[in-house]
Amino acid sequence: MPDMKDSLRRTLWISQVTFLEAVRQRFFAFLLVLGAAMVLSSVSLRVFDFGHGELKFIADFGFGGMFFFGSVLAVVMTAQLFFSEIDNKTALTLLAKPLSRPEFLLGKFFGAWAVLGVFVLVLAGLQGVVLWAREQELILVAEQAGKIPPTFSIVGLGQLVLLQWLRLGVVIAIVLAISALARTFLFTVVVGSLAVVAGQLQWIAQDAFLRPTDSPIYAAFLWISTRLIPNLQQFNLADALVLGSSVVEEGALISVGLSGLTYLVAYLTLGALIFRRREI
Amino acid sequence: MSSAISVRHLTKDFRIGLRGLKLRAIDDLSLEIPRGQVFGLLGPNGCGKSTTLKVILGLVSATAGEISILGELSATSAARRRTGFLPEAPYFHKFLTGRELVRYCAQLSGVAAADLGAAVEDALGLAAMNEAADRPIGTYSKGMLQRIGFAQAVVHDPELVILDEPTAGVDPVGSASIGRMIQAMRAKGKTVVLCSHLLGQVEQVCDRVAIMDRGKLVLEGAVEDVLSRRDRHVMTIEAMTPAARAAAEAALEAHGAKITSVTHPRRSLEDLFRELVTGSHDA
Ligand SMILES: Nc1ncnc2c1ncn2[C@@H]1O[C@H](COP(=O)(O)OP(=O)(O)OP(=O)(O)O)[C@@H](O)[C@H]1O
Ligand SMILES: [Mg+2]
Repeated sequence: MPDMKDSLRRTLWISQVTFLEAVRQRFFAFLLVLGAAMVLSSVSLRVFDFGHGELKFIADFGFGGMFFFGSVLAVVMTAQLFFSEIDNKTALTLLAKPLSRPEFLLGKFFGAWAVLGVFVLVLAGLQGVVLWAREQELILVAEQAGKIPPTFSIVGLGQLVLLQWLRLGVVIAIVLAISALARTFLFTVVVGSLAVVAGQLQWIAQDAFLRPTDSPIYAAFLWISTRLIPNLQQFNLADALVLGSSVVEEGALISVGLSGLTYLVAYLTLGALIFRRREI
Repeated sequence: MSSAISVRHLTKDFRIGLRGLKLRAIDDLSLEIPRGQVFGLLGPNGCGKSTTLKVILGLVSATAGEISILGELSATSAARRRTGFLPEAPYFHKFLTGRELVRYCAQLSGVAAADLGAAVEDALGLAAMNEAADRPIGTYSKGMLQRIGFAQAVVHDPELVILDEPTAGVDPVGSASIGRMIQAMRAKGKTVVLCSHLLGQVEQVCDRVAIMDRGKLVLEGAVEDVLSRRDRHVMTIEAMTPAARAAAEAALEAHGAKITSVTHPRRSLEDLFRELVTGSHDA
């Protein structure tokens, strides 16, 4: 197995340098600050209904920032990390070394995924602190008024971090598959963004698919689009997991996780197959 | 032993534009590059030199024909482990320092962890880049980029070094030092393949040359054989007087030899430049 070990090591080195490149760029810091500002500014939101609506407001606002800026980062940064190697011809130098193309692409994937891991962790950590601080205040208020205080779940926050990270991993894998095929950064960003939007709206096609239809072509179109495009909306369980607004069964979490992993692996494999044939 | 590189009937077409117009970059090229020599690949801009090197390294696929490199039928990862490559107009990850880059390349090329430090220092030393090694690559001049590129190409002590225009954008003093690095590689028994437009330097450092034009090979051979005109002779004479000259001409004519030209030897601008200028201001 020394080959496998060498291969993993090379992948790791590529991802380390990719990570370094990403965090030494201003773009990452910029989006991290924007996301953090959004989380922190949610503190100023006040709704006087003894807290239940208020925690939800804070969570919606903060997770919204994490979700939106995370998506932007996953699309733009991944495409940028890939095309900076192609356009600057550093890929020529690297791929002339005993490094296989799948190793290169996987290295890019893990590097970008690690960056987004940091992004999600930092924002979720901040969000947790903000929610906790507000929760403490609200508990006092609610006690004085003789009402049940609102709470939020730390475990749920942890699960949400994992789900969001997985969702961003799927986005990165899709963007890398597009990059492997595309000629330009701009094309990749546009198509990648469309793919994310399609993924967010995929449940509409899924709903439509469940309804009976007369047209087999329409049915086939729906079938293909529900298989090809991952349902990215299914990862957004913030309310349910963190605020306990509804019960999430463990089985449901696992099935969302598995579906995410399946798409992630499928798109990475597709990307590696396309990239293998690309002329550098 | 097999050649370092052999190229047989290689053709490469690029498709350009949406209509798929074909551009033939390499046209039925056959080449043998022997081991242990410095081989110069020459030709005008756009004649297909860089494309040939990319096909050899497996970075671009061939339309027809075949290659072999270090005894392998394609640029397998085993062959690439024994090969170093400096691409044309090199540009490296500008957020890394020179030392970080060379280290990264050494790791990717399979240098064992125990030898890593020594290999990196050796390569930086060979390329005369020790002093600037801790600066970010984004701050390097063109000459330094070429030298750090050379360092990353040789850090894993490859048998075969492929250099695509290592002297482009480098001043004459820097070029001369790159020339010496190439000669040092040959002294160690390595094979060096060199593309360059500095014909004077190619003539000095190369054992063999090939000239391409519009994707085709137009000439290949040992520099000695290709350049010397064995039917002509040059004498350099000091303190010649008109009388001496007339006498010499008469003596030569008596033997049926004919003087076709008499000129003063000139030194090259490059020699003059190097006499006057001490060294590059790059670290
Ligand atoms: N990726 C590509 N797509 C389309 N055409 C290409 C591509 N790469 C090279 N060409 C064309 O192939 C021909 C050969 O290019 P190549 O870069 O090999 O020339 P070269 O001999 O290295 O020239 P130079 O001395 O300028 O470096 C050129 O006409 C070039 O325009
Ligand atoms: Mg070239």
